[in-house]
Amino acid sequence: MKQLLAALSSESLKLKRTLALWMVFIAPFIVILLQFFILYDRAKFFAGRDVWGVLMYGVTSIWAIFMLPLFITLETALLSGLEHSGQSWKHLFAQPVPRWSVYAAKLLTVMGMILVSTVVLVLGEMGAGKLLSVLRPELRFHESPNLTMMARMAIMVYLASWILLAFHTWVSMRWKSFALAAGVGVAGTFFAVFASGARIGKFYPWLFPVNAVSTSPERMKLAILLGIIGGAIIAVAGCWNVVRRDVE
Amino acid sequence: MNHTVLETVGLTRSFGGLVAVNDINLKVEAGSVFGFLGPNGAGKTTTIRMLLGLIKPDRGRVMLFGEDLSSHRLSILGRVGALVETPSLYNHLTGFENMEVTRRLLGCSKENIGNALEIVKLTDAAHRLVREYSLGMRQRLGLALALLNRPEILILDEPTNGLDPAGIREMRALIKQLPDQSGITVFLSSHLLSEVEQLASHVGIIHQGKMLFQGSLAELHAQQHERLVLGVDRPSVAAEVLTKQGWRVHQEENSRLAVDAHGQKDAASINALLVREGLEVFYLSQQQPTLEETFFKMTAEPVAGGKP
Ligand SMILES: Nc1ncnc2c1ncn2[C@@H]1O[C@H](COP(=O)(O)OP(=O)(O)OP(=O)(O)O)[C@@H](O)[C@H]1O
Ligand SMILES: [Mg+2]
Repeated sequence: MKQLLAALSSESLKLKRTLALWMVFIAPFIVILLQFFILYDRAKFFAGRDVWGVLMYGVTSIWAIFMLPLFITLETALLSGLEHSGQSWKHLFAQPVPRWSVYAAKLLTVMGMILVSTVVLVLGEMGAGKLLSVLRPELRFHESPNLTMMARMAIMVYLASWILLAFHTWVSMRWKSFALAAGVGVAGTFFAVFASGARIGKFYPWLFPVNAVSTSPERMKLAILLGIIGGAIIAVAGCWNVVRRDVE
Repeated sequence: MNHTVLETVGLTRSFGGLVAVNDINLKVEAGSVFGFLGPNGAGKTTTIRMLLGLIKPDRGRVMLFGEDLSSHRLSILGRVGALVETPSLYNHLTGFENMEVTRRLLGCSKENIGNALEIVKLTDAAHRLVREYSLGMRQRLGLALALLNRPEILILDEPTNGLDPAGIREMRALIKQLPDQSGITVFLSSHLLSEVEQLASHVGIIHQGKMLFQGSLAELHAQQHERLVLGVDRPSVAAEVLTKQGWRVHQEENSRLAVDAHGQKDAASINALLVREGLEVFYLSQQQPTLEETFFKMTAEPVAGGKP
């Protein structure tokens, strides 16, 4: 445990001045901005509706279907890329710390970063609502939002994405190529479009985040459950695979 | 009082069909500087990666401080500092931050950073981004990283590779002072004999995965064969005459002959023999081959069983 904390503290310092760190704030901000402009632009159309709901569902779906899977791909690839390009694996794995702690620290760091993004997303939704209540009073955003609901949705999406987090951490650590990691992530997200209509859609990992806020309780539960359990299994298997390999 | 710090027993590792390291038995004494010498592709890096547990040997074992690396990896690595090939650095961090990343992992004192940076003379540049470092500075920072945990043995893989002459000199001076100042044992690989001669007290020569020689520099010198180089009017006849008398003769360039011979007595009797046979000897010189030549000769020929 002490070793894991030490490895985490070491990881956190590596984030200084990185694009990966900025992306934690930029990625949710882009999604918020998009939904903000939809509401701002078409205020007449949305006036009189459950505007907080529109904001919340709009933001969450763009985030869960599209932004989050790609964001996870990018963050894991950037973080592992620091080690690949610095040729640091041989240094890290020759230190007197268990190899699994190096792997676990990487995974936990990305998990932490995505969690922060999730919080930023919720805060952003509230901020966007507040701003719209001033700029577009006719939307009636001054009524208070259902904060619990907002936070719950974001957290469920996050939990369901664990499987992608674990998978991409493994891919990015196992293979040096940024293009490979990015390709896998983009392909996964792209095929989600087709899988969403199909019956296997509920077993397709790249759909788990969006399924986690599905109106069908069965789909929702399955996505979160498989997201967490699948994530744990892939995390352990990935770690096992990487720590036993020859270090380049 | 000298005890063995590092020892390998029958260390062997292949990649596909290629035996990169073939039955290597190293023995490194405490307080020595061991030069691990071999041409490109000899198996130096592969051996070093096994010494650090980065890759597993197919056969054989690595013993450090009297313990087996495969069963005591972490406690052993805590006493080892290493720099393998190019230094592992984060360009977007400063020199100091690079040290701090590893320090946090090790949990050692912050003082160690200052000390290590001082040894490699990077104190002034510590707060500049590594991206702006010269190759020599990067290499020295890599050395500082290896020194961070105050190791008892330092394992360096071609520490001067790619540096300019000034950088090479600086790096060598740094390495040379380590055993005396901090009592660190140094194991370093190189493809340059001159480097090993300058730095090392002991040498191991590896070629195509096999160990060709291991011992002190003095022992390597003692292995040299003195030769007598001759200029004769009819070299082929002279060679025949000498061979008949039991001398080992080699053809040299510009039709000179070289004979394995020791001392003035041999020289005199060879000269007398040739003159008696009616040959004209116009050049005669006793030569001590340089280590460079010996090393070059050793590693110029393929080793039996080295490659499939
Ligand atoms: N991961 C690998 N896969 C396949 N072959 C390898 C691998 N690593 C090393 N080799 C081969 O093993 C042999 C020894 O390589 P090694 O890197 O140990 O040599 P070296 O003595 O360090 O050479 P250099 O002076 O060029 O660094 C070479 O023929 C090399 O091609
Ligand atoms: Mg090498």
